[in-house]
Amino acid sequence: MNTHPAGRILRAVLLTLLYLFLLAPIIVVFVESFDDSTYLRFPPEGFTLDAYRQVFANADFRSGIQVSAVTAAVTTLLALVTGVPAALALTRLRFRGRDAVESAFLSPLLVPHIVLGLALLVLFAPIPLTDTYWGLILAHLGVTVPYVVRTVSAALAGADPRAEEAARTLGAGRFTVLRRVTLPAALPGLVSGAIIAFLLSFDETVISLFVSGQSTRPLPVAVLQYVEYRSDPSIAALSVCLVLLSVAAVVVVERSLGLRRSLRS
Amino acid sequence: MSGTATAAGDTVPGPKGGPRTAASGDGARAPRGPRPGRTALFLLAPGALALLFTYAMPLVWVVRMALNEPLDGGAIRQTLTFGTFTQVLRDGHYWKVIGQTLQLGVLVTVFTLLLAYPVALFLARTTSRWRSLLMALAVAPLLISSVARTFGWMAILGNQGLINKTLQALALTDGPLPLANNMTGVVIASVEIYMPFAILAMISGFGRLEPELERAAASLGANRLAVLRRVVLPLTLPGVLTAALLVFVLSLSGYVTPRLIGGGRVFVLATEIYDEAITSLNWPVAAVLSVLLLVLFGIVIVLYQRAQRALERRFTGEKGASR
Amino acid sequence: MAEPTAPAAATPAAGGSPAGHLTLEGLTKTYPGQHGAAVRGIDLSVERGSMLAVLGPSGCGKSTTLRMIAGLVAPTAGRVLVDGRDITGIPVHRRDMGMVFQSYALFPHLDVARNVAFGLEMRKVSRSERARRVAEALDLVRLGHLADRRIAQLSGGQQQRVALARALVVRPTLLLLDEPLSNLDAQLRGEMRDEIRRIQQETGITAVFVTHDQHEALSMADRVAVLAQGRLEQIGTPEDVYERPAGRFVARFVGRANLIEGTVAGADGPRTVVELPGVGRVSALGEPRPAGARAAVLLRPHRIALAPATADGPAAGVPDGSSAAPLRGTVLSAGYSGESLAYRIRVGAAGPVLDVERPAGPEATHAPGTEVLLTWDASAARLVDAAEDDRAGADSAPGAADAVPAAAAPHGVTP
Repeated sequence: MNTHPAGRILRAVLLTLLYLFLLAPIIVVFVESFDDSTYLRFPPEGFTLDAYRQVFANADFRSGIQVSAVTAAVTTLLALVTGVPAALALTRLRFRGRDAVESAFLSPLLVPHIVLGLALLVLFAPIPLTDTYWGLILAHLGVTVPYVVRTVSAALAGADPRAEEAARTLGAGRFTVLRRVTLPAALPGLVSGAIIAFLLSFDETVISLFVSGQSTRPLPVAVLQYVEYRSDPSIAALSVCLVLLSVAAVVVVERSLGLRRSLRS
Repeated sequence: MSGTATAAGDTVPGPKGGPRTAASGDGARAPRGPRPGRTALFLLAPGALALLFTYAMPLVWVVRMALNEPLDGGAIRQTLTFGTFTQVLRDGHYWKVIGQTLQLGVLVTVFTLLLAYPVALFLARTTSRWRSLLMALAVAPLLISSVARTFGWMAILGNQGLINKTLQALALTDGPLPLANNMTGVVIASVEIYMPFAILAMISGFGRLEPELERAAASLGANRLAVLRRVVLPLTLPGVLTAALLVFVLSLSGYVTPRLIGGGRVFVLATEIYDEAITSLNWPVAAVLSVLLLVLFGIVIVLYQRAQRALERRFTGEKGASR
Repeated sequence: MAEPTAPAAATPAAGGSPAGHLTLEGLTKTYPGQHGAAVRGIDLSVERGSMLAVLGPSGCGKSTTLRMIAGLVAPTAGRVLVDGRDITGIPVHRRDMGMVFQSYALFPHLDVARNVAFGLEMRKVSRSERARRVAEALDLVRLGHLADRRIAQLSGGQQQRVALARALVVRPTLLLLDEPLSNLDAQLRGEMRDEIRRIQQETGITAVFVTHDQHEALSMADRVAVLAQGRLEQIGTPEDVYERPAGRFVARFVGRANLIEGTVAGADGPRTVVELPGVGRVSALGEPRPAGARAAVLLRPHRIALAPATADGPAAGVPDGSSAAPLRGTVLSAGYSGESLAYRIRVGAAGPVLDVERPAGPEATHAPGTEVLLTWDASAARLVDAAEDDRAGADSAPGAADAVPAAAAPHGVTP
């Protein structure tokens, strides 16, 4: 299509600029994290790994990492336990109201987190579940289950149900078929769903702001509150760590299912 | 009967998952299997229970909270009244907040679409071997903490940030440009944060775009601009529309970027909800604002569906739109 | 999920039905909320070691029938018997059927050998025995060298062979194949057709395969069952089905056919004489019918011979009642397809239009517009029933749609 050399160059320049804009904050954070000053400035004037040391010296961040990791792990587990059977039912069974049930399972994706956060606070405060691990986990569960349902459903829909019938004719009972054929064939979807659930929970900020407290403050909340009053390279270093975690996850997801299919809106 | 017909049409609608018990006709002893309805119930129950407690019930609770009356010092009077609604709707401050929220939403949506469109178009059409890498680069920010990315923007837009430092080093400006702690900064950062969403949504909606169509148009004498305006743009409109909905809805409810980049000087519904609930401990007002945000969402989604139906009609030529 | 703990008690086959290896009795399937039955009371029997083709158009219920035999679909009524034993109540995984699916349905997460070994694992066959039998089965389908390949690395034909090996390795009672060739390209299809037939004969397994392709059915099977709208129209040898179709549907679905509507004029020994408007009297073989009854005459396009019409030739439309009935006709069009010439010929001045297929080469070709004489062997004309919505003569009117071949297969069909 684009054969004119000037048009080609123009297009290349435009795309480069757009990609630069898209990746700008990540690049800046990366460079910043090696700065040796104590306040935020750009470009940095020296090179040091102090910022990374500071991250792990900061008690708030350390406990934040712990809270977020535990919450994300348990949330992921629960999201799989509740989401995978639902995905199985939605893709492998015919029953009345199937479409309505599917919409209901995906509908939390449409509700803004700021509203859901407040709503969870209103429900959890009297129990009381606020400022507890279980409160955080349950709060994250609502927004991760739909993603697991969607990713696993996509993987199950992509697998040939005839393969399950073939296994039946070869002598496998229902449970054996599930264990030996259905779930292994949907494994990429399961892995992607788990990773996305983990990342969503690990990065969840707004809902956590409402239901967390002094004793269970997840990392994004700790960072948010830190950044509001101070900005120094340790936040940049922490951000780089988070970016690396995400990139590692993205690579795994891309390898196992394809990012687009997992995140398709 | 042509030789190419497949037996796909031969499978009769019926249960997907293996045999089901036959209607108890005499003599028909069918292979036994659980009834699909009961199995479905059994499989759906855990997820349904989880969503009931973590999603459905909270929403009901917050709507109920909006009908209570706030008292001084964070106390709440349990009642059933629209008093809090009228109180909020009579207050000019909240109207200003709603106005700013919509302004932010429109600005962010327009700029995000403008910047995401060329990238999406390129990714949808390119045959480059770097395609998957470029694709990953374009959408990977989605999975990166928005707090981290917003922090990056603070480092770029702040008074001591990359842009102002550079401008001052080049002696192009006297003082720092006001890029942070105001609407401008929030818009810039939000555009970047929502671009990956827009790119993804656009590519998913670009299904009708085929390179042959562009070549056909060019062969019919259309120049590049005409091809873009008469062929590419109409065909990609559904994807653009979906992206617009997504970005608008996300920016209406975004909290982290307005709070951090806004520096306490940009007031939108999301920051207001948080402040009322956590700082002022005024849950009924926070709940009312939440309900208003949900109503806004509802209106936007209805408008989107109307627009989508109109587009659909244009492609199918049907009067009665499907779905 | 309770399954029957013991196999259903052996029930002797119903009195009249032949004691085949597989017997279907009144097999019926009705789906709730669907108009009419998908399969309506099918009775048939398959001899041990033979191959039955279930042939029919899309939606005729042939796949449902096969799935009922496999146990994947529960019949609404009727029975499935193997060696006279009723297996209708036995769940699919205890039925011991080897099934090959249209989509091959291989397990994508397992390699070739593990795919084939799956059924043996389910049967708790020892590891060494398993390895031996997998190797044997892969050799049978000539894939011994690909045992450790992943499924995604195989071509369609190779996947089909793996599916066959996987079904056969457990030494099932029956081999069931659901449209096994329809996902393959034309050349591979021919190859696999011979391969499946060879394997079936080598192993001596009783097989049932479903197809919509009459060519496949006629060339592979010992017997062919033709299904239409859930009903069994005819079951017989390929030759039976092609040469002596039981009805209009079979005549038109299996092979190409000219069907000329008329009225029975009388009998001539074992033959029936039919008066065909615009053609004259033609004698045909088939079940005798009373004079005055509506009937149709079937003429296969390749059974009609052509000769240039000479001035002193017999007058058109005069039946000689015995061997041949030379008719005069005009060539409307002639289509060359390499191996053969397809003519469309109008009989007489205003008679029906017939399809005629002649081998290209040795014979003189007839240009459109020329007059020709049509003759056929006495055995070529078959009597079949008339069209159901019979408005007198309408069907046999000049240029009647009915005289157009029903199955316009690209290849000439010779059983």
